[in-house]
Amino acid sequence: MSNKTLLSVQNLKVWFPVRRGFWQRTIGHVKAVDGVSFDINEGETLGLVGESGCGKTTTGRALLRLIPASGGKVLFGEDNVLMTYNERLKKLRRDLQIVFQDPYGSMNPRMTIRSIIEEGLIVQKIGTPKERLERVMEVMEKVGLDATCLYRYPHEFSGGQRQRVCIARALVLKPKFVVLDEPISALDVSIQSQIINLLVKLREENGLTYLFISHDLSVVQYLSNRVSVMYLGKMVESAPSEELYRNPVHPYTQALLSSMPTLDESRRQKRILLQGDVPSPMNPPKNCRFCTRCPMKLPICTEVPPPLVEVSPGHKVLCHRAK
Amino acid sequence: MAKKKEQINKSRGYWAETWIRFRRRKLAMIALCYVIFMALVAIFSPAIVGTKPVVCKYKGGIYFPCMGYFNPSWENSVFISDSIITSYPVRLKEEDPDSWAIFPLMYNDFNRRVGEGEMPGRDANPTIDGHPSFQNPMGTNIYGYDVAAIIVHGTKTALLVGFVSMSIASFIGISVGALAGYFGGWVDLALSRLTEVVLCVPIMVLILALIAMVEKPEIWHTMTIIGLMGWPGIARLTRGEFLKLKQSEYVAAARALGASQFRIIFRHILPNALAPVLVPITFGIAGAILAESGLSYLGIGSSASVASWGTILSEGNRNLSMWWLAFFPGSMIFLTVLAYNLIGEALQEATDPRQRGK
Repeated sequence: MSNKTLLSVQNLKVWFPVRRGFWQRTIGHVKAVDGVSFDINEGETLGLVGESGCGKTTTGRALLRLIPASGGKVLFGEDNVLMTYNERLKKLRRDLQIVFQDPYGSMNPRMTIRSIIEEGLIVQKIGTPKERLERVMEVMEKVGLDATCLYRYPHEFSGGQRQRVCIARALVLKPKFVVLDEPISALDVSIQSQIINLLVKLREENGLTYLFISHDLSVVQYLSNRVSVMYLGKMVESAPSEELYRNPVHPYTQALLSSMPTLDESRRQKRILLQGDVPSPMNPPKNCRFCTRCPMKLPICTEVPPPLVEVSPGHKVLCHRAK
Repeated sequence: MAKKKEQINKSRGYWAETWIRFRRRKLAMIALCYVIFMALVAIFSPAIVGTKPVVCKYKGGIYFPCMGYFNPSWENSVFISDSIITSYPVRLKEEDPDSWAIFPLMYNDFNRRVGEGEMPGRDANPTIDGHPSFQNPMGTNIYGYDVAAIIVHGTKTALLVGFVSMSIASFIGISVGALAGYFGGWVDLALSRLTEVVLCVPIMVLILALIAMVEKPEIWHTMTIIGLMGWPGIARLTRGEFLKLKQSEYVAAARALGASQFRIIFRHILPNALAPVLVPITFGIAGAILAESGLSYLGIGSSASVASWGTILSEGNRNLSMWWLAFFPGSMIFLTVLAYNLIGEALQEATDPRQRGK
């Protein structure tokens, strides 16, 4: 792992317009991602956690240009990914890949495994048909699929195998950066560990950088060097993995971590139960987004936006209580 | 190496699976066989009923005069100049004693009466007041034309109407639906409104109006209009499928790989959107056949030179005592429309992804 920044996300915003009425007037925005910033170093894995609807998947997709971003920058090398078009963007896509949550839904049911994996090479016009087939076989072997699967269809596979195909498809272009969008949450628990170990192995072998999106805190802890916690489109806390799990500062992170099951008696703490529901992202609470549910709310929280405080090197918290 | 190839077993694709599910439905299979049989009848209609030889040798050349049933110009002009054209059996021998000819299974014509002495050993039409007989299995109409001949040659018309009009309709419908669904926004808004406008036009009335404007209405006019007006259902379904599939993760994955819009539309969305669209197309064929019969029944669908089931049906209406005029074409229309509907219904179930693996 080097200290060279591979990908830098600065103030990323994804707002979805809400339209109503006959003329489809825009009456507001769902601020799915509202000013998220983070850097990912080469060879590092950043875990992105948060509950459903907090914008973590949207972040992952927006920085790959799968959904249009409303603002901000995503710097990769010399390019701002969000402002790149046509051939240049196509070239960038070789380096930026994604693995989706639902391995079945993310494969075209009419295509054989070979054409699914090969597609990236065809689209990017890499190699002759023979070279492409060799590359496909090579990647399949890497992810643990044997050659008999080449001409089969997605529906003939189990969930774990399908996810292996999806990983192979993402890796066939030899990317530098892969967004893993909840790659294991649709799988059986027994298969999950296999896929996690595969992801770790591939990271080591190919020097990959991951953005690992998940709501499974223990998996994130195992896989990530750094973890960022999102709540309602904002990043509330970001820290090196060990530091975050040992010393969570933001009340939301504390609540999340207290919900994590543990066998270690000494670490077992009282569960912090949050009151109420997540507010609507169309009309989020002003200033601190968490103030409606925070068990340690101060009067200032509803009045002044919380500052981003660096409590220790690399550990940033968006909270009035942080020092 | 050969052994290794065996190990890599190729598995069944989507259409093979659909076919397996389709095959389980007995009634639909019978309907499919019927439709295939009708198509064969249509293709070989000049060899089944006709007065022109299938093959003949005449003045040293081999000819296929029966092709004239498909297109008058395909009948060799030598027969026209020698005025053989309406009485091959007698005139061929008169002109060239060495000639020989193989005639269709039944010597009858759909657009003229077979006269006295035309074919040696055969009586003129009609026999026994036009009732069905050995010579005219389905009877004859008031002019003495053979009904069986009209039915056999009318098969061609019915199938052609179904396929040509639905080809036009599917082409327009799938293109419009794909554009509206994929691009969305104002493209969708404009195309959807256009679809709704077309959907509101009563096809029969429009055809009546347009046919009235054309001097010599032909079967092609009817087909084109049915095709031009029959696409809204297909367009709406295609649009819905495109709206759904463009959000799918495999389309997102293809975009992440850098696939072009062309590739995404034609390689990823269209093949998956097509199966549900096949169903309204099948129903549309049945509808087009019915529409053409209805128009012919009203006497405006096609010119008199074209054999059509609807035309005999309307003659049956005017001559109620001649029951065979209504019964045979009516049954054909009924059976054919029923067959297409059965196939459509079975396709609907066979292509349903929820049936997968069953």
